[in-house]
Amino acid sequence: MNPRTMNPRYAWLRQLTAFGILLLIWEAAGRADMLNPLFMPSPSRIGSALYELFSDGRIWPHLEATFTAALGGLMLGLVAGIMLGILGAMVPLIAELLEPVMTLLNAIPRVILAPLFVIWLGIGLASKIALAFILVAVLIFFTVFTGIRQVDQRLVERIITLGGGRWALVRHVYLPSVTAWILGNMKVAVGFAFTGAVVGEFVAATSGLGYLLSFAQSTYNSALMLALVLLIMVVVLLIFAIAGRLEKYLLRWH
Amino acid sequence: MSVVGPSGSGKSSLLRAAIGLQQPLAGTVEPEVAPAEIGMLFQDDALLPWRTARDNVALGLSFRNVPRKSALVQADYWLDRVGLASFEHRYPRHLSGGQRKRVALAQVLALTPKLLLMDEPFASLDAIVRARVVQDVATLVEEEQISVLLVTHDLEEAIGLSDSIYLLSQGPRARITQHYQVPLPRPRDPVRARMQPAFAPLYDRLWNDLSNAVGPNPRAEAAE
Repeated sequence: MNPRTMNPRYAWLRQLTAFGILLLIWEAAGRADMLNPLFMPSPSRIGSALYELFSDGRIWPHLEATFTAALGGLMLGLVAGIMLGILGAMVPLIAELLEPVMTLLNAIPRVILAPLFVIWLGIGLASKIALAFILVAVLIFFTVFTGIRQVDQRLVERIITLGGGRWALVRHVYLPSVTAWILGNMKVAVGFAFTGAVVGEFVAATSGLGYLLSFAQSTYNSALMLALVLLIMVVVLLIFAIAGRLEKYLLRWH
Repeated sequence: MSVVGPSGSGKSSLLRAAIGLQQPLAGTVEPEVAPAEIGMLFQDDALLPWRTARDNVALGLSFRNVPRKSALVQADYWLDRVGLASFEHRYPRHLSGGQRKRVALAQVLALTPKLLLMDEPFASLDAIVRARVVQDVATLVEEEQISVLLVTHDLEEAIGLSDSIYLLSQGPRARITQHYQVPLPRPRDPVRARMQPAFAPLYDRLWNDLSNAVGPNPRAEAAE
């Protein structure tokens, strides 16, 4: 098909149709015993596992646990990342001390800290929040730190020549610049927060989507595992959509 | 008044020192007007991208504690004066280069400066837009009786806009080597100034002096 004749407005319809066809083939292959249900359950089995999770209400405490850990880590990570980023950009001594630590933390896959947090903070909520926090805080630190250092100096000079002082620079140049940088990385931060929460629960927990995943793995329940993967994808996409709306509104000048 | 000179002669530094953006390496800058009465128009319009045209113009007024309502009324007035009456709610990204330059001009004029420093403010505009903006700037500063110190590479622009022109020598440690009076009558259309008989001889003199200040062309020398 000539790509020029394809209307980009209906791309979603074509994608949805292709996905639907794939599901139908998958389902047909499952029903024809061409796929081992132990490894690759059919879409209808995954759907019924998902339905069961919601119908008996079993899922809600787990969703609540994951959401609490992810959003708690996200909020704390944002606050700490912003504060440390501002301090680092403004105070050279703090930048000198913080930058190597943050660079090191940024260089390693930070989820490897999960077992350590379990030892330090136990298998409760705190260790999951800590992992989500560290993932988000490092990202936001670099976002703010770099954002402040790369503020357009022409805007700074403009404010000075118009008679603005230090507070005017913070209010009219630095804060909006940094906000734009943070909002630009918000989706990544949300993804990191959920990664931290789920991986933390996967390592050791008594509730949460990660805990359910671990349970499904230990019982070889592929249908439940894929249902949970689907659920996590939907949840993150929903939060991405909210973050996207917020970004679009706050960066409407962009 | 214009200042022309080779690249690196310190023309921009002179303006930056005059408005306090940098300290001179030696000597002092003693403007006869108060710092608050000096405005500056940069080569880049440097408008805050997250503020509308109206809010950008009102910005300097808010630094002078003008109440917001009054600042917005004044912003609308100045936007009207620069020909952007219906663009007040647009963000800089949604304005053309010429329109952004006009907003930057309104932003400076709203502070009613007595001295306006202009650092190659029209360099980034294309020919037609540039001609129109230059004409409007000339009209507005004449109407508002604002003294202008213009730094430019463009000799036509310097002659068209100024009553006197200073030539700087090659830097570092550049100094004023020539001073020219522009014998063109006012009121004057800066774009059509070149049609006047007195334009060509002055342009020729300026061009020769500036060429001498820059030094011989290395390619021409190599060819010899």
